[in-house]
Amino acid sequence: MMDQTTRDDLLKLFQSKLNQAMRFYLETCSRCGVCVEACHVYASMGQVKNISAYRHEIVRRIYKKYYKARGKVWPSVGEAKELSDMALEELYEAAYTCTGCRRCMVYCPHGIDTQMIMSIAKLLLVGAEAEPEILTMLADTSIEKGKSLDLFKENFLTGIKNLESKVVKKWKIDAGETAIPVDFKGADLLYVALAGAHSIVPAAVIFNAAKENWTLSYFEAVNFGAFVGDPTRTKLILDRIINEATRLGVKEVCICECGTAFRVMKQMADKQPFKVSSITEVHARYLREGRIKIDKSTLDDPVTYHDPCQLARNAGVIDEPRYILQHLTDDFRDMTSDVRYNWCCGGGGGLVALGDETLDFRMKSASVKVDQINETGAKILATACENCHTQLSDLNEHYEMGVDVRFLSSMIADALVQSA
Amino acid sequence: MSGEDIVVDKVMDLKGMPCPMPIVKMSKGIKDVEIGQVVEALTTDPGALADFPAWARTSGNEIVKTDQEGDVIKFYIMRKA
Repeated sequence: MMDQTTRDDLLKLFQSKLNQAMRFYLETCSRCGVCVEACHVYASMGQVKNISAYRHEIVRRIYKKYYKARGKVWPSVGEAKELSDMALEELYEAAYTCTGCRRCMVYCPHGIDTQMIMSIAKLLLVGAEAEPEILTMLADTSIEKGKSLDLFKENFLTGIKNLESKVVKKWKIDAGETAIPVDFKGADLLYVALAGAHSIVPAAVIFNAAKENWTLSYFEAVNFGAFVGDPTRTKLILDRIINEATRLGVKEVCICECGTAFRVMKQMADKQPFKVSSITEVHARYLREGRIKIDKSTLDDPVTYHDPCQLARNAGVIDEPRYILQHLTDDFRDMTSDVRYNWCCGGGGGLVALGDETLDFRMKSASVKVDQINETGAKILATACENCHTQLSDLNEHYEMGVDVRFLSSMIADALVQSA
Repeated sequence: MSGEDIVVDKVMDLKGMPCPMPIVKMSKGIKDVEIGQVVEALTTDPGALADFPAWARTSGNEIVKTDQEGDVIKFYIMRKA
């Protein structure tokens, strides 16, 4: 049973989230029901507990109990609820069945931000040490890498050196040039990748093709602190990259195909002395400026594109992937006429990182996404986010969709034209 | 100590897995062996060369050896915690 000291500590965390916008979200819902069909989880599974307004209500009732006069003195009338162990269980279910895609926010006439409200739930869970342990472990591993970089640097450089031949195989470089520069002072652009070669090799090929003055970050882009909703860990993970970019004096930080990493760096970091771009924006820029050329004949099958929620709906990178796809194929089939209403893949908010334990839910809750993809008739499903790519690959296997799930950057790298 | 000298109690094939699955699976899989026993983890992520040692420090486990054969990186990790 939750003791008063724990409850008081958790309420301090709750209080820390109550800025003007959050109070508006918690006080404004008119229960109009417009959000009901907006959530892919509800649309796929039909359970009331997955309606956005229902998720809000779990947090809102605690808010009413401790921050509104009626809830304090007359809880039964004020629809107020005590912060208890049972309330934490409800908060967990609400927060970790929500991908934070914000599709419901587009429908809501008041613009209520479910992801923001769920950030209270996630913070309370962190405070109660009831969050998914694995996400905190991943965040702490990232933080440790930042604190003890000197211990890991040489290993990382060895791993990167081993990739260089793969980069050169796809794009020849001039003698004396480095295929994957790391820690290069004087670079204009710092590229922040993920751990896998698929996040580094195609990007390096395209940077070299565009004659970019670039360098690779020591750190991985993804921010597990944001997934678990812990502002302290989020900042520590973010600061590693900001400090590296500042030390190297780069003009631009380019985030790999990871929607959350881009959104955290672009929208949750303070103003920095460098520009923040997604790799998709950078690739579109290279094409516009004629710095790279693409052979359109490499793809025979129709192509569709899944807009990662954190990149498109929540950060406005919408035209750039379509501009790139115009250069890759004559048979591009959009999933929706308005990207704001695109369905989430069902893997966001840390659900993919939780692995097998969320697999069944992720498959069931994304059947509307599967229908949306199938309706295009496309055989190639492109995307620009690691998280989405994993979830879409799982959906492809589970529903036997028969599509080829591809990263946009890899499609570009495979179609680059290098004159003799 | 060569890889052959180490008694491996469990092998985990983490090759080709997307981010962050190698660390997630490792973190869960190491709990299947007793303290003092060794897991051999195979991965193809170049970033794992930094991520695994960072995870080991955070989780209190010990990487007793790292090998590389072509694209495959082998970690021998002793469960300590």
